[in-house]
Amino acid sequence: MLRYWSYIAILMTLISCSGDEYAVVEDLDENKELEVPQPAYFPELTYDINENPPTEKGFELGKKLFYDGKLSSSGVISCGFCHMQEFAFTHHTHRVSHGVGGALGTRNAQPLHNLAYKKSFNWDGAAAHLDAHFIIPITTEVEMNEEIGNVLEKLKDDPSYQEMFNAAFEDGQIDTKNLFDALAQFLVMMVSAETKYDRVVHQGTAEFTAEEQAGKALFDSKCSSCHSGELFTNQQYMNNGLPINPQYDDKGRGRVTGNPDDDYTFQVPSLRNIEFTLPYMHDGRFDTLEEVLDFYDSGVEETPNISQEMYNENNVPGIPLTEEEKEKIIAFLKTLSDVDLTLDERFSEF
Amino acid sequence: MRNKEVFFLLPILLLLSCSDDDVQQELTTELNLTFDHHVGGEDLELSGQIYEKNAGEHFRIDTLKYIISNIELQLTNGDTFKYPVEESYFVINEKDPSSLSIDLEDIPADNYDKIRFGFGIDQSNYPLNGVDNFVPTAEENGMLWSWSAGYKFLKLEGEYGNSIAEVEQKFLYHVGSHGENLDNYKVVELDLGETLRLDQDGQSIRLDMDVLKIFNAVHAFEIAEKDDIQVDPVNAPKIAENMKNSFQVDAIVQASE
Ligand code: HEC
Ligand code: HEC
Repeated sequence: MLRYWSYIAILMTLISCSGDEYAVVEDLDENKELEVPQPAYFPELTYDINENPPTEKGFELGKKLFYDGKLSSSGVISCGFCHMQEFAFTHHTHRVSHGVGGALGTRNAQPLHNLAYKKSFNWDGAAAHLDAHFIIPITTEVEMNEEIGNVLEKLKDDPSYQEMFNAAFEDGQIDTKNLFDALAQFLVMMVSAETKYDRVVHQGTAEFTAEEQAGKALFDSKCSSCHSGELFTNQQYMNNGLPINPQYDDKGRGRVTGNPDDDYTFQVPSLRNIEFTLPYMHDGRFDTLEEVLDFYDSGVEETPNISQEMYNENNVPGIPLTEEEKEKIIAFLKTLSDVDLTLDERFSEF
Repeated sequence: MRNKEVFFLLPILLLLSCSDDDVQQELTTELNLTFDHHVGGEDLELSGQIYEKNAGEHFRIDTLKYIISNIELQLTNGDTFKYPVEESYFVINEKDPSSLSIDLEDIPADNYDKIRFGFGIDQSNYPLNGVDNFVPTAEENGMLWSWSAGYKFLKLEGEYGNSIAEVEQKFLYHVGSHGENLDNYKVVELDLGETLRLDQDGQSIRLDMDVLKIFNAVHAFEIAEKDDIQVDPVNAPKIAENMKNSFQVDAIVQASE
């Protein structure tokens, strides 16, 4: 049926006054829309796919941009430099990210996955919209240290980009909107839901070991008030009692809102792929999950705005855990690893 | 999906495009907006002249920049003409004379009695998608908070003191929206005072902005109380409110060539 109409459409196009548009029809048809994976048990998409529907060509362009050092002032720091696929797109070897000229940031690079389901971005939610987020890494001195205007000039000087923008967008313009849209099209496709946890809990095709099962029960009772739901985050800004690092005195959410009640709160991170995304916490202070759990057990401090959830039944801050309990929780956390994401060739640089 | 729709629509579009093109066209014309800044009764002169404000404070201005957007004209019949949103973002920068005069094109020749424009960027209605292409301009003018992916709506900087001789303490007001939390976008609506009759020879609306009102319109500010206002959930909304009330229409004149 569709085919039949297509023929009529082509025919009519041919016999209408000019024939040039025929080529346009073909071009448009080649650029297929991609479907953003939406596991049934995930929350609603937050990214408005209709505003910027990912297409094959847009994705391809976004990927090229993601791995291109042209987006930085030095010409060598690409998005992929700090967001490495093997580590669920984090900057694995560094506590805080290294940018142009080795400049040190103050924060640990976040994993890039399930971004189409996030309500705000960065540890402090400085960007409320994914498309707007890219201003931050590109223009921040300690990251790519470049100006958007300059990036556009560099892309315009490169004929291969002109071709790709033409193929990806109807207006073919190399402008900020299309630059950000292409990056977003690449990123929203990174959906991570192929883990042992998903197979056990949602697909019924695998089973937890006894240790993992026990870990899940502990996690549900001690951690899931904040790391809740299928993304393992309530997407709120909270203070889990992490001692303040005097080197940065990072106020987190407080810097964005200017509200002292938000000082030292950070977005509760998703724990999917947590096995790969070390080091941990906003400043990357912990190298292992063991250290993280030692912190929850005995390192929690009563810093300003510490969350009520951090107080145990004796009204003391902290989540007391035995060594055995820690091991079980870690075993459970490791069922959240998605090897498909880290190996998926669609997202690979080479 | 979208592609298929295009597929079906194309022949129709093409047929239409073959038919007689010169359907009666509405007459359109140009409109110029000019921004004049003054301080009470005096012209604003950057980095030299010292002025007096409320609370007996004296001050000098080194930088005055702000973003306007979403320009609309109200017809005398109550309808509204909206200037294309993507083309209606401007940085007004006292230091750059060319930025003080904005030429709007393709305005229907008609009668108007009100003008509206936004102070800043309306992030709730256009969540940055539509305004992405304003990024390079804002960046050039230092109107981006790069760490928060947001725009500075106002940049007012200078020095102040208790007497003319003491004007040396720096002050700085940077106002914008705070992520999704606090929206400081404001709509300025002004009566044109007389009917603006737009015909083929474009006209110009001269807008006046009084810097004193930024310090004292709805809310009164003593600079000495807080001389560095940036991401400030208490003071930034008040300054935005004052900004909204600092404009007026001075005159409508024949646009000079
Ligand atoms: C120098 C290292 C570095 C580079 C280069 C870099 N990033 Fe990041 N990225 C980070 C850090 C660090 C964070 C966390 C920032 C914060 O919270 O302030 C982050 C956060 C993000 C987030 C937010 C994730 C979330 O879950 O909220 C996205 C999206 C992102 N980066 C995409 C990109 C893109 C696209 C590029 C290239 C245009 C890029 N990054 C370049 C280090 C980097
Ligand atoms: C009060 C809410 C809250 C509770 C309860 C909580 N967390 Fe967290 N968790 C957070 C916040 C907030 C952060 C980020 C803190 C930061 O970086 O400053 C975090 C960070 C983490 C990280 C590091 C993530 C990363 O990407 O770096 C891990 C792992 C973690 N939590 C596991 C757990 C486990 C396991 C439990 C239960 C024993 C738990 N959390 C209980 C709020 C909570």
